[in-house]
Amino acid sequence: MKRVVVSISLIVAALWIQMVSADDFSFGESNAFIATITGTPPKQVYPVPPEEAIQQEVLAVQVIPDRDLPPIVSEYEKLHFRLAWQDEPAPLMFLIAGTGSGFDTQRMDYFKRLYWDAGMHVIVISSPTNYDFIAAASTSGLPGLGYLDARDLHTAMSRAVEQAREEKGIEITDYYLSGFSLGALHGAFVGELDSHLGQFDFEKILLMNPPVDLYNSVQRLDRLAYTQVEGVEGGDSFYEHIFDKLSRYFAARGGIDAASGLFYEIQESGEALTDPELALLIGAVFRFAAADLNFMADLISGGGQYAPPQEELTVGTSLTPYLRRALFCDFACYMETQLWPDWQSRNAGLSVQDMAYRTSLQSIEDYLRGNPNVAVVTAADDFILAEEDYYYLAELFGERAFLYPRGGHGGNLQHKDVVARMLAFIKGADDDQE
Amino acid sequence: MTKSNYLIALVAALASLNASAQYQTIAAQPGIPEYRDALQALPIDRNDETEYQFERSSLKALDVHDPIEGFNRYVYRFNAEFDEHFYLPVVRGYVAVTPRFVRSGVSNFFQNINDVPNLVNSVAQGKVQKSLRTTARLLFNTTLGGLGLVDVAKRMGLPQEPEDFGQTMGFYGAPEGPYLVLPFIGPSSLRDTTGRVVDWTIHSGWDPLYASEYMNNNPWTYPLYAVDLRYRTPFRYGALDTPFEYDQIRYLYTKLRELQISQ
Repeated sequence: MKRVVVSISLIVAALWIQMVSADDFSFGESNAFIATITGTPPKQVYPVPPEEAIQQEVLAVQVIPDRDLPPIVSEYEKLHFRLAWQDEPAPLMFLIAGTGSGFDTQRMDYFKRLYWDAGMHVIVISSPTNYDFIAAASTSGLPGLGYLDARDLHTAMSRAVEQAREEKGIEITDYYLSGFSLGALHGAFVGELDSHLGQFDFEKILLMNPPVDLYNSVQRLDRLAYTQVEGVEGGDSFYEHIFDKLSRYFAARGGIDAASGLFYEIQESGEALTDPELALLIGAVFRFAAADLNFMADLISGGGQYAPPQEELTVGTSLTPYLRRALFCDFACYMETQLWPDWQSRNAGLSVQDMAYRTSLQSIEDYLRGNPNVAVVTAADDFILAEEDYYYLAELFGERAFLYPRGGHGGNLQHKDVVARMLAFIKGADDDQE
Repeated sequence: MTKSNYLIALVAALASLNASAQYQTIAAQPGIPEYRDALQALPIDRNDETEYQFERSSLKALDVHDPIEGFNRYVYRFNAEFDEHFYLPVVRGYVAVTPRFVRSGVSNFFQNINDVPNLVNSVAQGKVQKSLRTTARLLFNTTLGGLGLVDVAKRMGLPQEPEDFGQTMGFYGAPEGPYLVLPFIGPSSLRDTTGRVVDWTIHSGWDPLYASEYMNNNPWTYPLYAVDLRYRTPFRYGALDTPFEYDQIRYLYTKLRELQISQ
């Protein structure tokens, strides 16, 4: 009998130890690129109400009083943002989108639904690097420096709140802030700025997959465009290469049926996209975002490098020649050829490194370190982070660094465990769960 | 007595093991998951092959024959405004006042009618298997599916396989011709616009389902058709988040048609 007890105990102990010491994160995709592209498998997603259930509207507000744009972009003279509101007094959550993303992306919609369901008002704002924000709310027209973008964002957020109060009569009890990727970096800078201004007094700020050193991260992403892909040589077009794969896949399958889960099916087939192909795809998407930024920043700031003078643009003007030119300039190029000359002219004697530092989390370390109201969530294989960036986040945020072994750049953010952890932090239910 | 002793021993053993296990976790837990660099294994190299591969590919994608681009861009903008201020609000109203099964019934009805040109074009391209499948769809859905209100064929494993006259012309090697943006309808090409006219003639001329006749006798079905079409189309203006949406849609439209024709 004793033997039975001992063996049972040993089994239980073994199970227990395995449960806690082995990685217990059920998000299984260990390929960072696939995780980033496909996101969380539907079965593991933390459930949120459907889009139709949300009381929401797109509102617009004039942020810069004298902004007067040519017809081709005149629809962006006012800043558009999305408001989801409660009928009762409630806390308000600001969400800031990532690089080159607007307020209306699926990722932002998910978090809007999540926080609305948790009883909050939600305001979703485009990334300061997105073309609509540059047009409507960027004073210089040259976004990309955390501490300066924060001023534009802070103004835009205040105006958005006024507009929401005016149009929908919402009552706000207190303020929260979250953002994804570059939007997370922006969130941190807005929090730091507001700690001096005392306007919002954010209860909690949650940074989702932020870069640490923006310059470092954009250089990593820029490099993806130089991934060597087998089968793309000489004069070949990479996109044709991908379309050919798709075409062969559909032919073998007998018909085009772009159902959800299509990507998984392709990855199971003989036409599965390779890691270099996925990386180059992500790199290409990023380069197109850089082209948008180069064009729009140049148009608004009047730099004359990538965009024509505003008065020459009509609705019928072909933008293709400008896109052709802007495509050559990646993010690092943007920082060097557009941001730097402007910044240098106002900060004589300082170097590119000084400028890069001013847009890193290190520059606001004093505000972040030991601040119980700011948390970060990221993954050990988020490819915008270099090794030192990742461990810096772990060290800087300590127990408020929610680090997961897998997920790539934001692929695990809808996972039930991750969302539960984020909600617990926002609600302040406990700060040392798990 | 001995039994309860054993029980106590077991509980105590478990408790102590739990305690030691917990202790162990703190000691054994590495604290943070180990960093993995996804870029490390990639063949990233700036050489002659890769130096301009992004620019080369993207510039090629911008080469679409678009001689009346200025006009097209005005129409594109008009469509976007029409969509935002009229079309989508109407669709939202439609969704608000109808239950889901009514909306899918409407969608199925109009899609069933489309199987007539689908069939004609499958036959015209000599695609025997596909023609048989589409014939079966028409028969099942029009009879068992109550005039097409239920897509029973899909449930039997026969999903719809669209074939239009633009595809038929492409199949026989007709070039797409200049890119066009049609008012209310959106991206097209000279070939595909011609195809639309031919498909419409098939729909109203042959009319084996008497659908065209029915629609002409009940003119309210035309706006319903338009609303259902938008309801079924997930595309949203502005969704690409770029000032170059026109250029990107132009390329994607061209590639999508190539893909459809190749099947």
